[in-house]
Amino acid sequence: MANAAAPEPKENMGQPMPRIDGRLKVTGGARYPSDIRLKEPVYAALALSSIALGSISRFRLDAARAVAGVIDIFTHETLSDAIKEQVMMGQSEQAGYAASTIRPLQSASILHDGQIIAIVVADTFEAATEAARLVAPEYDARTPSATFGSDGVTIEEAAKISKKHEDPKIGDAEAALRTAEVKVDNRYSTPVQHHNPIELFTTSCIWDGPKLTIFEPSQTAHGLRFGVAQQLGMNPDDVHVVSSFIGGAFGSKGATTERTALIAAIAKKLDRPVKFVSSRADAFFVSTYRAETEQRVALAASRDGKLTALIHEGHEVTSRPDGYFVGGTDTTTRMYACPNISTKVSVVHADRKTPGFMRAPAEMPYMFVLESAMDELAETLGIDPVELRRINDTQIEPIKGLAFTSRSLMPCFDAAAAAFRWSERNRKPGAARDGDWLIGQGCATSCYPTMVAPATARVSLMPDGTAHVETAAQDVGTGTYTVVAQMAAERLGIDARHVKVTLGDSKLPPAPVSGGSNVTASVCSAVAKACDAINEKLRGSNSQNLAEQFRRLGVSELVEYAETVAPGASPEGIDQLYKGISALGGGPKLKDRIQYAFGAQFIEVAVHSRTREIRVRRMTGAFAAGRIMNTRTARSQLMGGMIGGIGSALLEATEIDRRYARYVNKNLADYEVPVNADIEALDVILVPETDDKVNAVGVKGVGELGIVGTAAAVANAVYNATGIRVRDLPIRLDALLT
Amino acid sequence: MTQFLKYVAGIQRRQMLYGTAATLAFLLVSRVVVARQKPVGKAAGGIAHEAGDKVDLVLDINGQERHLSLDGRTSLLDALRDHLDLTGSKKGCDHGQCGACTVHVDGRRVLSCLTLASMASGKKITTIEGLAGPDGGLHPMQAAFIEHDAFQCGYCTPGQIMSAVACVEEGHADDAAEIREYMSGNICRCAAYPNIVAAIEHAKVAMGRA
Repeated sequence: MANAAAPEPKENMGQPMPRIDGRLKVTGGARYPSDIRLKEPVYAALALSSIALGSISRFRLDAARAVAGVIDIFTHETLSDAIKEQVMMGQSEQAGYAASTIRPLQSASILHDGQIIAIVVADTFEAATEAARLVAPEYDARTPSATFGSDGVTIEEAAKISKKHEDPKIGDAEAALRTAEVKVDNRYSTPVQHHNPIELFTTSCIWDGPKLTIFEPSQTAHGLRFGVAQQLGMNPDDVHVVSSFIGGAFGSKGATTERTALIAAIAKKLDRPVKFVSSRADAFFVSTYRAETEQRVALAASRDGKLTALIHEGHEVTSRPDGYFVGGTDTTTRMYACPNISTKVSVVHADRKTPGFMRAPAEMPYMFVLESAMDELAETLGIDPVELRRINDTQIEPIKGLAFTSRSLMPCFDAAAAAFRWSERNRKPGAARDGDWLIGQGCATSCYPTMVAPATARVSLMPDGTAHVETAAQDVGTGTYTVVAQMAAERLGIDARHVKVTLGDSKLPPAPVSGGSNVTASVCSAVAKACDAINEKLRGSNSQNLAEQFRRLGVSELVEYAETVAPGASPEGIDQLYKGISALGGGPKLKDRIQYAFGAQFIEVAVHSRTREIRVRRMTGAFAAGRIMNTRTARSQLMGGMIGGIGSALLEATEIDRRYARYVNKNLADYEVPVNADIEALDVILVPETDDKVNAVGVKGVGELGIVGTAAAVANAVYNATGIRVRDLPIRLDALLT
Repeated sequence: MTQFLKYVAGIQRRQMLYGTAATLAFLLVSRVVVARQKPVGKAAGGIAHEAGDKVDLVLDINGQERHLSLDGRTSLLDALRDHLDLTGSKKGCDHGQCGACTVHVDGRRVLSCLTLASMASGKKITTIEGLAGPDGGLHPMQAAFIEHDAFQCGYCTPGQIMSAVACVEEGHADDAAEIREYMSGNICRCAAYPNIVAAIEHAKVAMGRA
């Protein structure tokens, strides 16, 4: 039987080796951090704020303390000395690791719904959970500002918040728009989303004298180590983070979040191992979220379809104290040739938790808007949407005039269009039917900036042809264990099944955060370099027999440690890596080149003519991302991204009660994510591409590429099915009841 | 999204309502706290427990008798994970919405987070750790999940596999559409769904149910 999960490798693609951690994962043998058995642990449970703004005037804790088995209840009255320093990641000159500057339990102040107000510790999970519900705070509550349009929000320009952000601009876009032959100018919105990895947020802390061990699923074992050390005022050498398996992350386990240092501080006070496993409702607050956006895109073109102006303005919600934003205009301004471009990103401060990165943080919401607008322009011009992309395709980005290291956008469109049978599409909206169902088809561009970070790895080769690779990099489900083994095997000329890989432990050589789709490129570069150094030592021997070569060298193993930075990147990045900072660079931020992976997605929807139920019938995505290390794991990531994109398009939104700035659907029944029955035919095409400029191994990364553009392709298909243009995500049937 | 309620959880809910002690424990778990200050009266034919009281029980797990003394509110999932070190069954929501905790009880798929450990006493419980043969040989469903890359992070996978085996044995795996429907109580956030369907179609042949 043909196995769609294991595509035949094409040029510049690695073998579809099954995951080397597969057996552990299908037998229950993989130990995720909350699976680690602790000696006589006590259990922690959180009490969260039920107001979004104000302060706690007093606690009534009698009922909670009366629960049999409760050991102690920690509040700002007893734990306010815990956090010494907390610097937010990427927001200042100082090394920062935290998701936010907000410090729960350090004062009576409440800055957002769901802020941690107490941590209950008990002998059993059951007692801690019961007592946490009985924690009774009394509040001095004030009226919070919830979101866009709420009284009391303040607006700040992104360029004024961060030196790293400059609003891309060339020519005079407003003038070009005024005089344009054809234009579209519309407003769009995207909702609050939560990552909801199926693994809950967990933390176990154990002290041994001054040494702290933390078992926590993390996208950055070293980052978490340094982050907690900073918060607790500890020597980072005394903090050890273990995160061997991570049950999904999608951005939610990247920055150091509030609970970890607090659990550690409590474990120290009690001198007992403390285990914390969040509830699903708590998971909507324990980590970060994708903030809602409001955007305007205006496109102008000549009658022949050439873009003459692009205006893209974005507003993003953030917390009161923190200026977090994603700023996707860096990407949207690089997609197509255009002589006049104007952009502006602003944040709107509300009484909300600080948002954070979620799969394709900038590209998912901003490309939804650009690619919806491109479809609207194609419709207005009467040009096929694929042809409109071809007319405006470019190998030189328009802002700085830099050349793409490689750009296979149109080969992706052509491959996907052929497989999808796009030429058979009925271009007239609302004209195709299948019984009671209206059928529509749409397409969109996918892209993701190619990011690379400094990395290190240690490779040991034995005389029997086995090898061991050690690096602190994480496998969040992406296949890091497997592709690292493949890279070492290829370079050392041994069987990949003979390579042992150890990951996810801060005692290992430091590696960057599993974020920005960088890990395969970054870590494989370091592994390849260490392997090359081993090969160098073996050179000069005539013998092909490895054991003989080791005898000649008089060693029992060959061990090499390698450090790498991206081509042209500052070697200082390595110093930062040793402090737990991932110096991601690339995409549109380079001086001499621009590097992106591209793709094209085609989607067919069926909309019921009476109920307006929306079903995705089939999806085809074609992607080119440089070297593909393993066609099996790459396809799975792209597929997962596309299905995540269906969630964004049709299902996912965290609803806010605007009166109280509080979330209302904090569970997996009301925050809907795609389930098996939502996905029918799905086809992933890997388009061959070779790029020797992005990094030493020519890898671009595919973790986030698949989710970008999906929502626009769905919206465009819904338009083709119904003639109704929906510019607000998610698209639900009420938007189609006209 | 609602399949699990219909096909899995419903069984347990009915059972809960019939057992007096279990009903009381259910009320406590669901935080409808019964007057805690005064002793709870004995129900006819059953022994009433206060929250936090230990319950002695014997569970038949993967063919082994396991003796436990647990807080009466302990779910089967927490009994497995925190008291028996059988951590293959995963906690993803703890209230029956994700399917990561799926185990077999007397051959039927059950959400162990919605099952009190005490209710599973006297029944045959199979977890992911008990699915492979005694020689370590993988169950055809486990092998098919690897071959079809039916997971990424692997966290929902034990629940998916336990559900998938039951799905085939229930006779609900006739075609891809039926599999999708009957596997929709198990959420995979990495979204390996098409690969899960392919793995089940593959494994059902080896399971003799094609």
